[in-house]
Amino acid sequence: MGHPGEGLLLGMGATRAQSSGPEKIEVFIDDQPVMVPPGTTVLQAAAEAGVEIPRFCYHERLSVAGNCRMCLVEVEKSVKPVAACAMPVMKGWRIKTDSDMTRKAREGVMEFLLINHPLDCPICDQGGECDLQDQSMAFGSDRSRFLDNKRAVEDKNIGPLVKTIMTRCIHCTRCVRFASEVAGVEDLGTTGRGSDMQIGTYVEKMLMSELSGNVIDLCPVGALTSKPYAFTARPWEIRRTDSVDVMDAVGSNIVVNHRTGEVLRILPRTNEEINEEWLSDKSRFACDGLKRQRLVYPMVKDSSGELRPCQWEDALLVAGRALAAAQGSVAAVAGGLADAESLVALKDLVNKLGGEATCTEEIFPEDGSGTDLRSSYLLNTTIAGVEEADLVLLVGTNPRFEAPLFNARLRKAWVHNELDVAVLGPNVNLTYEAEHIGEDPAIIEKLLSGTHPFSQRLKAARRPMVVVGSALLSRPDGGLLYARLQQLAHQLRAGCEGGAEWRVLNVLHRVASQVAALDLGYTPGVSKVRNAPPQVLYLLGADEGAITREDLPADCLVIYQGHHGDRGAEMADVVLPGAAYTEKMATYVNTEGRAQQAQAALVPPGMAREDWKIIRALSEVVGAQLPYDNLAEVRDRLTEVSPNLTRYGDVEEANYFAQASALAQLVKGKQEAAPIDVPQKVLEDFYMTNSVSRASPTMAKCIAAIKKEAANRHRDK
Amino acid sequence: MASKLARAGVRQVKPILSVDHGEARQRVLNLYKAWYRQLPYIVMDYDLPKSKEECRAKLREEFMKHHHVQDIRVIDMLVIKGQMELKETVEIWKQKHGLMAYWKDTVEPKPQGFLNKFLDGHE
Repeated sequence: MGHPGEGLLLGMGATRAQSSGPEKIEVFIDDQPVMVPPGTTVLQAAAEAGVEIPRFCYHERLSVAGNCRMCLVEVEKSVKPVAACAMPVMKGWRIKTDSDMTRKAREGVMEFLLINHPLDCPICDQGGECDLQDQSMAFGSDRSRFLDNKRAVEDKNIGPLVKTIMTRCIHCTRCVRFASEVAGVEDLGTTGRGSDMQIGTYVEKMLMSELSGNVIDLCPVGALTSKPYAFTARPWEIRRTDSVDVMDAVGSNIVVNHRTGEVLRILPRTNEEINEEWLSDKSRFACDGLKRQRLVYPMVKDSSGELRPCQWEDALLVAGRALAAAQGSVAAVAGGLADAESLVALKDLVNKLGGEATCTEEIFPEDGSGTDLRSSYLLNTTIAGVEEADLVLLVGTNPRFEAPLFNARLRKAWVHNELDVAVLGPNVNLTYEAEHIGEDPAIIEKLLSGTHPFSQRLKAARRPMVVVGSALLSRPDGGLLYARLQQLAHQLRAGCEGGAEWRVLNVLHRVASQVAALDLGYTPGVSKVRNAPPQVLYLLGADEGAITREDLPADCLVIYQGHHGDRGAEMADVVLPGAAYTEKMATYVNTEGRAQQAQAALVPPGMAREDWKIIRALSEVVGAQLPYDNLAEVRDRLTEVSPNLTRYGDVEEANYFAQASALAQLVKGKQEAAPIDVPQKVLEDFYMTNSVSRASPTMAKCIAAIKKEAANRHRDK
Repeated sequence: MASKLARAGVRQVKPILSVDHGEARQRVLNLYKAWYRQLPYIVMDYDLPKSKEECRAKLREEFMKHHHVQDIRVIDMLVIKGQMELKETVEIWKQKHGLMAYWKDTVEPKPQGFLNKFLDGHE
């Protein structure tokens, strides 16, 4: 038992910036010379020359196992063919990727693999996107010499997301390596040898990981497939739209797979700087929530206090009249899924009507420089920058559930770069070892003054990172604590390796809209609305209950614009149905400050419309017409307010840490005694965090399964 | 000298029917009168839900659509098309809806402006 290939860590991407590399050596791929650094494998050298060698077990982001033997190639003067994925090249080697020996070796391996692989491609979900199918067509033989009965393996129940048909497994162990190396859960493994070998969890238990869906993509055959997507569609029937995920603030790149007006599944899209090629389970599987609880027609409250469906004319008229009658006593609250276009349109409308309060639901302290300096609210080091860090201090955050792919990066650096992680807050399981400093907020003051034992470690670090979570920022004394952390980060910056280039301070947001909203000048937190209740309150997808009916006077009219019937729509007098993230061309800015575009895969359901258009139409009804009629004009307006919002794909760097730190010194306040806490501590808390995931049956099944798993006697407590 | 050059610049084109504006005008008036006299019979034969007066107004409207046309050849061509149309109508080669199409009763105008398009579902 054990994890094959452990310790063999060739071909991994995570490396700290290296000095000049050693001399390159020359090898020949099909007589074509290539220069590669020593230690390169045959497979990588071939890739360099543009030749792809077939493989099943090899994956560039996992350790090398070398057990499928599909990548056998001939090397001149070698008696046997070599496994290209595991063999480092030697000087002057002549590798033949298409010789008779190579082809015969591949055909033989394919014949062996197919001995026990069932011929159920017509009913297999992997059909059409199966590596085994493709490669047996390209490299296999047309007949087999084995006529014995095929082996059958019992299927394992590993949870509500991943379906296992273990008879199809070819034992590449990609899933085992992913679980232990990337996801950090040592649940999967192999038992038995030879034809008795099986992949499984040893005893029946669930694969409890927030990244478990990735094993579906990794599996080269149909052994691990998606349970919610089972028997739904074939890859050639599907339309694919590149988009951006909004379930967390990481902004993972995704491909929305859709057909006949519904999203069938969401797959990750490779972006080395954000999500590599992984995707969190919430981003991947919450898409069925886009079909439930949707607002499909405008609604207005009637005299009996019930919301009744109506036409757009009526809803806009009721909302418009109220907005006009409010005479500037108008406020807006934006939720976590709002896009930059609708945010700018709403802010323009409220300001045009004479209102000042445009808030976000997520809280961010306004003490010191507040949100005036962009560097104070960004993940300045960037997600990929984690791989260069040597010490990370997490304060009041649980990145495993707030930003699973950021946590995967931390884990990658912890595995390959000996990154040290320390946690200030509750001692949660981050899937890697982290030093727990404590939960007492007073520790921050001690770290700043250098009297805490951990201060020495921080000082000694050459590239430290301080990552502040929104749980800390939303504390009553969040402003004070954050100011101290700003000072601490600035202090640490002096001793850094890269000097001014290395940014220490990082804020990890929880919701996708926050950075764009702050860039546009929204006020974080709803205290402004609570202190001076407006006559009309405009909720733009605000569903987290930051403001409730009890906070507002009885005569306050609430307009809710959004896509799900959740807490916001429940308290509204007028409901305007908007589009979800798969239904609009929209801009989202992730926690690094990277603007990205979501593309419309579908049209909004029923009478729902794109969000900025609703606000634009309403503005005309009120008589405060906004000066943009199409997307290009809205984006011009975005550029006018903050040019980084339309520089898609780039991280706009932010600075002025010294000034922010100087202002932070002036912050005074009373420190609370309550320990630093985070809202998401266990996997159960991960699945439902916004209106889409709350409406998703799959997410509900995940939570139910985890609750049931608590009774599993095999699970270590 | 200059006038001679100018005259040489004017290209002589082959007339379709008329050689000058007067003749073209006469042909237009003749066509108009022919239609005008035929209108009562058209209304009766096709059982059009329109009165003679409405048809006359429409006839005038159709002629006035081209009142800006100056080119004799274009006028002649329009007259020829008008005659063909008249012939088809008189011989009942057309059907009722073909004539009613002149009023465009069932054609809804496209919404103009952002708000109208939004309410119409186009934005």
